[in-house]
Amino acid sequence: MKTLTLAAVEAGDEPEGHDTALEAARAGDRAAFDLLMRRHERLVLGTAYRLAGNLEDAQDASQEVFLRLYRNLGKLETGNLAAWLYRVTVNVCHDARRRRLSTVPVDDEPELASSGGDPQQRAGEAERRALLLRSLRTLSEKERAALVLRDLEGLSTAEVAGVLGSSVVTVRSQISKARLKMRDFVERYSRRRL
Amino acid sequence: MRCANWEEQVALLAGGDLETSEAATVERHLSECAACSALAADLRAGLDGLRDVHTEPLAEAHYAAVRARVLAELAKAPGRRAVWPWAWAAALAAAAAGAWVVSLVLSPSTLPAPQLPRVVATAPMVERPVLRQPGSKRSAENQAAEAGKKSRDDSRLRRLVSRRHGVGVIPSGGPVEEAVLSGADVQAVAQASLPAPPAATNDSQVRMVQLVTDDPNVVIYWLFENTGEGR
Repeated sequence: MKTLTLAAVEAGDEPEGHDTALEAARAGDRAAFDLLMRRHERLVLGTAYRLAGNLEDAQDASQEVFLRLYRNLGKLETGNLAAWLYRVTVNVCHDARRRRLSTVPVDDEPELASSGGDPQQRAGEAERRALLLRSLRTLSEKERAALVLRDLEGLSTAEVAGVLGSSVVTVRSQISKARLKMRDFVERYSRRRL
Repeated sequence: MRCANWEEQVALLAGGDLETSEAATVERHLSECAACSALAADLRAGLDGLRDVHTEPLAEAHYAAVRARVLAELAKAPGRRAVWPWAWAAALAAAAAGAWVVSLVLSPSTLPAPQLPRVVATAPMVERPVLRQPGSKRSAENQAAEAGKKSRDDSRLRRLVSRRHGVGVIPSGGPVEEAVLSGADVQAVAQASLPAPPAATNDSQVRMVQLVTDDPNVVIYWLFENTGEGR
């Protein structure tokens, strides 16, 4: 299991260097801010991609997250930067999803393309990936965020609760429901194909 | 057929979210329930597949594109970073200070205290009976009679006040004269204006004004006679 601290270290976010870059960025040093972005871009873009489900939206969300980081440099506490970025990324992705839902209707359980033909040929790795990614769309915002942070980002349940502003009990419930929903979606799709 | 009441626990077990004792309990159930055991296997496979999909790194170009977009946005407002946060802070501080000043000005507690009347007395102001006219010739007998009458009147007034108010603040022996009402420390309100006492004669009424000062131990009684003269 990976912790927030470990995630930050993996992102090259060692405390001393991080402090220096953060302080320099606070003073208006654009190069230092670019360094901060490089250190955390995998955390931000990776999480946004898993939450948004497509690269374009994930990049839009990441841009917004980093602009918010820039605007809030003076308020941030050094030790909580990773948690702050996770929280803002989740919020930005949720906001974007709500805007999308208000303009373009999206089915909760989108129909997967079924072109007929040999099931064996269509059961390739690419399709399997697509199926899993689509199963994420069946989840509610909170379930999806909890599952992404816990199962894909590898945060502990307590850390997920901290990022989402929920209790550990709530997060455990959301995670278990999310896993079951995804499993049921995959099972239904597989049964339909047979 | 899955066991509905075990599903949540099985899902948590699949992701490694159960404590050791909880996990052991669920594992025991799985060993006895084929449906739940299959569910657990499906859940584990699904999670593994999801992790596999997401462990593939995105191309470096995608990260670079985001960085470029952010820096381009920042470049649109050069110098904004150095000013913007402090401008907000200054504006908020100024607004808070202004609101505070306005609240101070408008607050009833800070308005100048209204001037209390120095003395509020409802008793009619009457002139003391003139007992002695300057230059008038009076005999010693008349003077003695007048002095005796005044002494009796004073004693009657003291008794009257004590009887009606149960207080004995009028020192005996001293003359009952008008209270000095213009003292600066008398921020008082007249609490009572006694009607004419029953014992008063038709041609002589007693008036008393009780004045309360800031000091609760000091009460000023203003006693005077109303002889009807001047009405």
